[in-house]
Amino acid sequence: MTDSGGGPDLQELGRKLLTAIFGAQSALKLYPVENETVQHAITELHTLVDGIVKQEGAAEVRVVGDFFFLNETRLRLDLSNFSTFGAFAGALSGHGIGAVEIIHGVERSEWAPFISMLLRPAAEAEPFAHFSERLAEAPVKHITVRPSTEVEEPHEDEEALTAAKRTYAQSVKVVQNVMGDLRIGKAVNVRKVKRSVQGIVDQVLSNESSMVTMTTLRDFDEYTFTHSVNVSIFSVIVGQRLGLERISLYELGLGALFHDIGKQRIDADIINKPGSLTDAEWAELRKHPTEGLLLLFQMHGFTDVPYRQMLMAYEHHMKVDLTGYPRNRREREPSLFSRIVAVADAFDAGTSVRSYQYEPWPPDAVLQEMRDNPARGLDPLLVKVLISATGVYPVGTLAILDTHELAVVSRVNPDPDLLHRPTVKVISDPMGFPLPEPKVVDLAQSRPDGNPVRYIIKTTDPQKYGIRVSDYLIS
Amino acid sequence: MTENADPASAPEGLDWEDDRLPVERVRSLFVTLGKAFRAHQLYDENNPVRHRFVESLKGEFRALWSELERLSVHVGEERIYLGESEVYHSESRKDSLAFLFFKDGVREITFLPGIEEHELGTFLGVLQKARKLIPESDDLLTVLWEAEMRYFRYQYVDLLAEGVELPEAGPGADKDLLQRALAAEDEEMATQEQAAAQGREEAADTPQTVQQEDFNPTLYVLDPRDMDALRSEIQKEMSRDTRTDVLKALFDRLEESGNRERQSEILGILEVLLPNFLSRGKLVAATNVLLELRRLEELEGAFDEQRKAESRGILDEISTPEAVGELMQALYAGTIRASSSQLSNFLQFLRGQALAPLLKESEVVQHQELQTVLRTAVQGIAGKNREALIALLDEDDPLIAAAAAKLAAEMRIAGAGPALARLLAHAEPDVRLAAVEAAVALKAASVAHALEERLEDPERSVRIAAARAFQALHYSPVARTLSGMIRSKVIRNADISEKVAVFEAYGTTAGADGVSLLDGILNRRGGLLGKRESTEMRAAAALGLGRIHTPEARAALEKAAHDEDPVVRSNVRRALREDA
Repeated sequence: MTDSGGGPDLQELGRKLLTAIFGAQSALKLYPVENETVQHAITELHTLVDGIVKQEGAAEVRVVGDFFFLNETRLRLDLSNFSTFGAFAGALSGHGIGAVEIIHGVERSEWAPFISMLLRPAAEAEPFAHFSERLAEAPVKHITVRPSTEVEEPHEDEEALTAAKRTYAQSVKVVQNVMGDLRIGKAVNVRKVKRSVQGIVDQVLSNESSMVTMTTLRDFDEYTFTHSVNVSIFSVIVGQRLGLERISLYELGLGALFHDIGKQRIDADIINKPGSLTDAEWAELRKHPTEGLLLLFQMHGFTDVPYRQMLMAYEHHMKVDLTGYPRNRREREPSLFSRIVAVADAFDAGTSVRSYQYEPWPPDAVLQEMRDNPARGLDPLLVKVLISATGVYPVGTLAILDTHELAVVSRVNPDPDLLHRPTVKVISDPMGFPLPEPKVVDLAQSRPDGNPVRYIIKTTDPQKYGIRVSDYLIS
Repeated sequence: MTENADPASAPEGLDWEDDRLPVERVRSLFVTLGKAFRAHQLYDENNPVRHRFVESLKGEFRALWSELERLSVHVGEERIYLGESEVYHSESRKDSLAFLFFKDGVREITFLPGIEEHELGTFLGVLQKARKLIPESDDLLTVLWEAEMRYFRYQYVDLLAEGVELPEAGPGADKDLLQRALAAEDEEMATQEQAAAQGREEAADTPQTVQQEDFNPTLYVLDPRDMDALRSEIQKEMSRDTRTDVLKALFDRLEESGNRERQSEILGILEVLLPNFLSRGKLVAATNVLLELRRLEELEGAFDEQRKAESRGILDEISTPEAVGELMQALYAGTIRASSSQLSNFLQFLRGQALAPLLKESEVVQHQELQTVLRTAVQGIAGKNREALIALLDEDDPLIAAAAAKLAAEMRIAGAGPALARLLAHAEPDVRLAAVEAAVALKAASVAHALEERLEDPERSVRIAAARAFQALHYSPVARTLSGMIRSKVIRNADISEKVAVFEAYGTTAGADGVSLLDGILNRRGGLLGKRESTEMRAAAALGLGRIHTPEARAALEKAAHDEDPVVRSNVRRALREDA
């Protein structure tokens, strides 16, 4: 496992560089090159890059998986920059570019043609080769590009996936042990829980996609256990988008992992009841947030009383208008972390098969309902943040393409404007014949006329097809 | 940077060529690291000794990087190895670097160039923090994880990995089922398209069919206003008083009378939380808990008798002398920093058993503001717990008994008489004195007999106070005793203050009946030589006459108005002035 490297200076310079590129991109989208705004943006970009090249000898911006690197420093995404990062990542990936290198001697005049080329629609076939050819003809001598296939080695994904599998499986086991210990009144090994959440945070920070993939494992273990881990994963992902510090992500992930812990005090027959619950059973089930709060007081091994985690357990079914449950007698505003957990909980629960709940919805339909149904009482901004992380079609969505091929969404498009055009694994041909090996297709690819090469026309229920989407994602 | 080590891995069997490794230099580095570790432990940040060891360690690292690209060593229970060579060993586990890492599962550590410039302080801080951890709290791995170091890496035995099966992909879809389902879905879509073309309603009811309007980025892209709002939410979250929010939740649920067991559980939690708050100096939070408990105790139907008893038990617990002692200690140590009003707000909840320690503290505390707060608090508690205060009059501790007597007097607690009478016979003069003063304040006739005995108290100040007490009480039955004292030799041997006290008390309590005796002492010449009483006796008698306020007494004083003894003359005039 490698961690982010480089000093804080390069981290800061990297963020500024991406912002400057985004500024120049935006200006060139709107105005002709002679325009003052464009000129100003290009001057700013050039000055910044010139400084980096002088300091570091060269500047290479790479996109690896979900992350940007400036030389060896992984740039951190947060609320202030993820949109900027996403726009540039989208432009690069559209042309099949994995890295841009700027070497000593770069001139100010090279930027406008380079960025203009990035803004043009990518070629349908061999986009990188086309881009390279045009770049060779352009007056751009000190900016070079490398294809994404060279940058993102397949084994890195495999390693990340294996690490994610390990983290996921360990976390589920830890939750299983915790829940079991609580049911029989045994002391909980909190250290293992902490280690597990630290693993989730590290994995999300190093390779978010791999961890999201794990949440598609619907029958890996009992719902209660996998759901707790999934909610922890999605909460950490949302927290990361908000720019929370690593330690805060841990706090969030820990609370999310424990959010349903109160169910251990609810009659197992109610928790596991197939079909609908009676009013009395619902009333009983609605006690679990309070029971969770109380149970966490019994758990030792925390440096301090885990108040924040208690609030997440207690408030995750409270709506933003304070309806929901439990009901409040004193003034209260659910904490941000609780609202994050509520969003993550709603998403994972909606896409899962649960004993007392309806059939699962396709992930995109769940997101849409979370976004559009105010009765849900979810924080609309946090739902937006979740969608910006999961895309309109979250990983694991089973989709029918316009070609009538069946495909599983495997990766979110990092460009915020292209969240509805993810990367998919096509699993069957238009006649319904399963492909021997799933074919990876980037739905962001466009034809010269700007229309997409392929697009999703419908999402559907994997159960209808007897499909376990994770079979195509974790192999 | 964290990596999981294979639990089976150990230094043995490594194919290192020790002769190429700078073993001696690494040994020296670990010796210096051990010293820097101890210096970090013993001295504060600005101490030059600590600074010297840290600088020395930096030098060791710098020198090492000319020979190694990184330093990776294996950690044993007592020893650290570079390859197969031991580079560190500590007999004692207490300060052993090896054991510090080993006990929490770390088996290999790696230092990278740059640690000496960027993270040495962090690294030494981590070691210190890890050394101080209590077993049931965090471990070194958590501290290392939180420190997020970039120039230090470690491998550890991963306990989570035991018995975990990794998820594996299944065989994928069944061909026939997939074909059938896709065909059915195609047909369904075709029907819907057809319906849409014909403008039929059911066409719109296809939520899983993609609609272009779903891709309007404003629906899911955060605009700058959204981002500002979220940033401010994060700031709010980070400064949120989560403890108060949890307490509100607990009290919301405690207020629900429908679940008595849960109420008991919550009361149990609050009982544990209170000392926790106080130990962390959170006096206001503790006060709020007490305030809420009192409110719920008074709220009709909120608690049944058992819950009320449990709630009161919490207040009893916090009012024990031990708890109050801890509170005082925390105030003196500065663990609790509270304003006078905050402290007063807390103390008002304490029960009667808190009186004794608070009374004692209020007597001995040097800090005037604190003393005022404590005195106000004890008055408040005593006001609600009069019996408890009276009981303190029998307290063995003389300081408490005396303070209780004073307080009983201040508060005019009439029922304190019998206890006060016992207290008048206390072994400690200060206590007897306080009891005498209390008796005066209480005008407690029931203690008169006990008070009379104090006129012969071995302690002068008590005797004087007792005489003054009778004077203040105008207790005429004592006049006979005082008369006897005045006639005795004892009073002649007493100092002037005591004489004055006794004579004034006699004048006050005997009234007109006392003129003859006092006139005789002031004006009569006795014996063959016509010798007068001593100057002090005559002066005291004059003051005693001044207390009688009758024409006879005044006449007796006027006879001595021009006495040749200036001291007598002066006191006669004073008595006449007071009489007028």
